[in-house]
Amino acid sequence: MRVGAPPAARRRRAVAAQLALLPMAITVIGVYLGTVLWSVRISFSSSKIFPTDDFVGLSQYLRLFNTERWIVSLHNIAVFGTLFIAACLVLGFLLAVFLDQRVRGENVLRTIFLYPYAMSFVATGLIWQWMLNPALGIQSTVRSLGFPGFEFDWIVSQDKVIYTLVIAAVWQASGLVMAVLLAGLRGIDDALWNAARIDGVPRWRYYLSVVLPQLGPAFGTAFVLLAVGVVKVYDVVIAMTQGGPGNASEVPAKFIMDNLFNRANVGLASAASTVMLLTVLALLLPWWYGRAVQSRREAAHA
Amino acid sequence: MVPTTLKHLTLVAALIAVGNAHAQKATVIHWWTSGGESAAVKELADAYAKAGGTWVDEAVAGADNARAAAINRIAGGNPPTAAQFNTSKQYHDVISAGQLNDIDAVAAKEGWDKWLPKPIVDSIKVNGHYYAVPVNIHNPAWFWYSKSALQKAGVAGEPKTMDEFFAALDKLKAAGLVPLAFGGQSWQEWITFYSMLLDVGGKDAYLKFFKDHDAASVNAEPMRKTLTALKKLHGYVDAGSPGRNWNDATAMVISGKAGFQIMGDWAKGEFGAAKQTAGKEYGCFAGFGPTAPYMVAGDVFVFPKTSDKTAIEAQHKLATVFTSPTTQVAFNNKKGSIPVRTDVDTSKMDICAQAGLQAMKDPARQIANPDMLMTPDMVGAVQDVITKFWNGNQSVDDAVKALQGAVKG
Amino acid sequence: MSHSPTRRSRVTPARLGLYALLLSSAAFFLLPLYVMLATSLKPMEEIRLGQLFTLPLHVTIEPWIQAWASACTGLECRGIQVGFWNSVKIVVPSTIASIFFGALNGYALSFWRVRWAGRLFGVLMFGAFVPYQVMMYPLVRALASVNLFGTLTGIVLIHTVFGMPVMTLLFRNYYAGVPSELFKAARIDGGGFWRIFFQLMLPMSLPIIAVAVIMQMTNIWNDFLLGLVFAGRENLPMTVQLNNVINTTTGERLYNVNMAATVLTSLLPLAVYLISGRWFVRGITAGAVKG
Repeated sequence: MRVGAPPAARRRRAVAAQLALLPMAITVIGVYLGTVLWSVRISFSSSKIFPTDDFVGLSQYLRLFNTERWIVSLHNIAVFGTLFIAACLVLGFLLAVFLDQRVRGENVLRTIFLYPYAMSFVATGLIWQWMLNPALGIQSTVRSLGFPGFEFDWIVSQDKVIYTLVIAAVWQASGLVMAVLLAGLRGIDDALWNAARIDGVPRWRYYLSVVLPQLGPAFGTAFVLLAVGVVKVYDVVIAMTQGGPGNASEVPAKFIMDNLFNRANVGLASAASTVMLLTVLALLLPWWYGRAVQSRREAAHA
Repeated sequence: MVPTTLKHLTLVAALIAVGNAHAQKATVIHWWTSGGESAAVKELADAYAKAGGTWVDEAVAGADNARAAAINRIAGGNPPTAAQFNTSKQYHDVISAGQLNDIDAVAAKEGWDKWLPKPIVDSIKVNGHYYAVPVNIHNPAWFWYSKSALQKAGVAGEPKTMDEFFAALDKLKAAGLVPLAFGGQSWQEWITFYSMLLDVGGKDAYLKFFKDHDAASVNAEPMRKTLTALKKLHGYVDAGSPGRNWNDATAMVISGKAGFQIMGDWAKGEFGAAKQTAGKEYGCFAGFGPTAPYMVAGDVFVFPKTSDKTAIEAQHKLATVFTSPTTQVAFNNKKGSIPVRTDVDTSKMDICAQAGLQAMKDPARQIANPDMLMTPDMVGAVQDVITKFWNGNQSVDDAVKALQGAVKG
Repeated sequence: MSHSPTRRSRVTPARLGLYALLLSSAAFFLLPLYVMLATSLKPMEEIRLGQLFTLPLHVTIEPWIQAWASACTGLECRGIQVGFWNSVKIVVPSTIASIFFGALNGYALSFWRVRWAGRLFGVLMFGAFVPYQVMMYPLVRALASVNLFGTLTGIVLIHTVFGMPVMTLLFRNYYAGVPSELFKAARIDGGGFWRIFFQLMLPMSLPIIAVAVIMQMTNIWNDFLLGLVFAGRENLPMTVQLNNVINTTTGERLYNVNMAATVLTSLLPLAVYLISGRWFVRGITAGAVKG
């Protein structure tokens, strides 16, 4: 057994890692940073249908926060985001745990939970709209079955329409969370369960105390995936409510899209997008700080 | 040098031959993808082929998607030969950015100044140059009604005034039917609003608001009356209307579950698909009275900037073909709209289209739709106000204030 | 190697409860599919009556045939099959490329100390949140300047770039759960950067590769706007025809054809989900440590 590789070889391997990461570096700097900076620049212009070079200071931002539709969309995204992420994580975890129990027909069940993710929301969103419409869907069907007082008209109510979006979005995304967590579960050594069983630990306790902590990274992945979905949520709104009734289910991505293409307002759309990114930045900073502290701690131990 | 000139001549001849072999290839972006629309586009493509061109179709459903595709293609240096827009101010920014070719040559040759309806000319002629070719006239504010539903409710005939219309709505409500089939989407509420402004507020109030952007007119009697009528109208739609597609609302009229719908003449496509005929199972009227204003909206094609000679030939050929009388009749009969010229054969048109064309013959009745009079940005701002007013409990005073803010721009 | 005794599933209340929960969840997930399929098998006259949950009175598979082969998507009326091979041409290289780079990045970030990598990864994560419509104009200009706008290479590049944040995250978090003794042992055995990657890490990543394939395949297969703008007329994916069938501003909507077209388009990702089962295998890492 060799004690350690010679220094030259060690340096060579680090160079290999750096070269391998070059595409990522180019993408981050050239594509993401570049376009974000460009977009911020445009938010200070009066661009209409094509980007222009002029400078109008903060007027787009002033207009943005004077637009009621934008304020509503921010409020909606907060409500939607919290409910959606929480529900998906819980449901996805439960489904993953259930499927991990060596059930019959696991392949079929897994596909059933995943298929909503495969389908274009343009069509499935319309189905949800029909199902939740009081005149057409669940409310009218249950009433016709003999429950005349049954009410389920959230989708036409200004206050409750956001919850209908949560339902449809959870239906679409939980399957993917389940898949991510299942992959994580399958990476956990079965011997741990045998040891726990011998110690008399009930299965549910085992999941809570042993498995859950080990799924940290998988939950992290799922959380980021869901968070990205929240910030970008667009298809479900377009397909189900088109932002209605009125502006009650408006979301930032729809506001941006409408102003970018439909209303020929590239300047305003860029301002809205910059505000969204600043919000994400504000939420990401604590995480970055935490990781920086952690890696400094690791370096100190190494 | 003779040999060089000969070489040059051969080269030029070869290029001409190649150019003709391509036969003015035209890539056309448009959003007509349903069955009926496809048949209509085929008329345009066939007419272009007959004139010696080659049509390369680039259909993208959804007007926003199609326009986005066209804009991005122009930005990427790979523009289509022609792109569809609505007769509106949507493409005026593209003109200011210098990204469109003008078609003054075709306009002069065909004499557009002489016979094109004024609202359309105002939209396609910018700074004295023609930048778009109109292909049809749609009226977004027709009234459709189910004859069986009206009969069931005891409504005598077509309402001839706004008061009779509301009376009919009351009768339908009493008979347990849905008085007004409605789809609660922003653009449908928008159509209902400006249709009401035209029919209740009157032509002057409409123009003061949409054309002059006059904030004072918003607080005047006609607009206030309109907003009140709009609020009243809301009481005649069913609870399931928010978010509904316009086709689903038309389906309610088709099946006799609802009495009326205010929708554009493209609704005829749905009636036709359900095998119903105008005048038999359903009726149509475009306003109240013989001098009722007829709203002019429609589609145009613009020509992205290019200096390629063959492409410019293709663009001019498209513009000429699109406005010829035979193409106009063939296309519009299939599309459900009416031709942009009145000197055409109306024998094959249904009664609604014939009535529309008749109305267009009177220039005093022609009125431009809001998209032609306001920028997309301002249209959007007003739409936001209207959708909030329609769906909420806002008072007329607050709506007036909000509208004034929107037109100040 | 760890060995679990094969447990004969006894019918216990817990087991019954488990199946009950799974089946009721399945019912919630399947309800919209039922409505979709029922609608797709009804003629339009029935659909106009608006009875969502009833079985079709007159079953017709006409909408399915129409969706595949004869629905109008513009001047052409050849259904959605037109773009099928284009979608395959786009999906296969894009999925492979984005997963490869994601795995590579995740591996390099997890096990190798590169000074600037951590910070760059943070910015990459931030990049995942940028709405891609905002990025479109500069990317159009950038690709046009290297003559890749409207080409197959261009669209594959775009998909790889947009997939990089999530793919990198997926693999990096997965490798974070891999015991570092494994890596150290491989280094001691003389493994270099690439050898460890190809011979140790990748084979061990099957479950997460399954998830990555599911995600990228689905996202790229269902992508509409990027394909529309960047792929060029010859390479337009199936989603463009699907959009043309389903979406229409003022034309008639044939809901049965729309539903059929949507289900048809989703069959490929669904097949991938079913097949991916063999990769959700248990105990690969554990086995590797013990053995």
